[in-house]
Amino acid sequence: MMRTLVYALGGLLLGGIIHVVVVLLVPDFANRDAWTSMGRFGTDGDFHLLPMSEPGTEPLPYLDPDMAFAVCRFSLAERPIRIHAALPAEFWSAAIYDRRGRSVYSLNDRSAGEGGFDMVLATSVQMARMRENPVDALETTIVIELPVDRGFVLLRSFVADPTLLPETEAALAAARCSDPVPATRTSAAAPTAAGGGGN
Amino acid sequence: MRHPFRFLVDLTVGLAIACLVGFGSAALVLDRDRPFGAVTAGAWSAWPASGSPDADPYTKAMQARSGEVPLGAGEGLIFIAEADDAGTPLSGRCSYRIVGQTPAARLWTLTAYDAEGHLMDNAVRRTSFHSREILREADGRFVIAIGPEAEPGNWLPVATGGSFRLLLRLYDTPVGSGSDVRDLVMPRIERGECR
Repeated sequence: MMRTLVYALGGLLLGGIIHVVVVLLVPDFANRDAWTSMGRFGTDGDFHLLPMSEPGTEPLPYLDPDMAFAVCRFSLAERPIRIHAALPAEFWSAAIYDRRGRSVYSLNDRSAGEGGFDMVLATSVQMARMRENPVDALETTIVIELPVDRGFVLLRSFVADPTLLPETEAALAAARCSDPVPATRTSAAAPTAAGGGGN
Repeated sequence: MRHPFRFLVDLTVGLAIACLVGFGSAALVLDRDRPFGAVTAGAWSAWPASGSPDADPYTKAMQARSGEVPLGAGEGLIFIAEADDAGTPLSGRCSYRIVGQTPAARLWTLTAYDAEGHLMDNAVRRTSFHSREILREADGRFVIAIGPEAEPGNWLPVATGGSFRLLLRLYDTPVGSGSDVRDLVMPRIERGECR
């Protein structure tokens, strides 16, 4: 009897360890997490407009039905990327998430300034390289050093009234997610450099 | 050793307890509310750190399972209510009144979800109210009627026989980043008649 008790006690301890391991491993095995769900809206590297949240058709759980959303899954594996959007003069915000859906950076229309935002995402290695060989982008845009090399951006824009929806959706759909960072200062005079962003 | 299988029996008992306790407790905890880091004001709770990389492992596991995308710190803060001010769970059979005002925010929206976290279909096609469209009293306070029966003024329909939850999303708000979470003025949730 005593021995069985000892084994039962050991089982309890092992159970505690299993509990911790399960909780820590759930994010690695989740197949309905935000990143995976976003894959079905379209190719990586582009913004995709999400349908408005309506009863029965919610593109992602717990999205605000008063907001229009666009998402983009990005990768910094090859090069830094430039993300920019021109957005209506209403509340909007953008948040950058890592692969696990944690917000590593966010901003809203007040903190970014009127009309939209323009930012460059880079890993710390790419960041160091850009500092050595400065590009124009570093002076005019927000440059964000990310601790990860892939993640997603969620862009939300307030739709105060359904009549404003087309304008908002057009602005979100025109947002660019994976543009190359504008050329370096030395080659900025080349005519090709100006055409990159389309603005 | 009196019994030849004694060791095997003990080992099986031990492992069975380990699995039951380990997996069972993990499943139980992850199906409930986030256990840590809640800021509570009246019937409302928020988890300011839930979107950040320093969220606790339980919050991270729950978010991975549900697939929801948390609000970034620079975007706003979400308050959730699952019970009225008296602590009774919100029920789709009852009517409620949300009375008062919200903490400072440039914009807020109030949305009702059923127990599974889905929006509820209704005849007037309204699933939420936002701060720009709400009808207010002269002093800036507002009353939102919530329930299955249509009411004059701000009426947020709820169409479920079970429980439901309310999400108050504060956009561009100092709440959460600041320190004064204790004296937050949140709207009251008063229960009316039940069927």
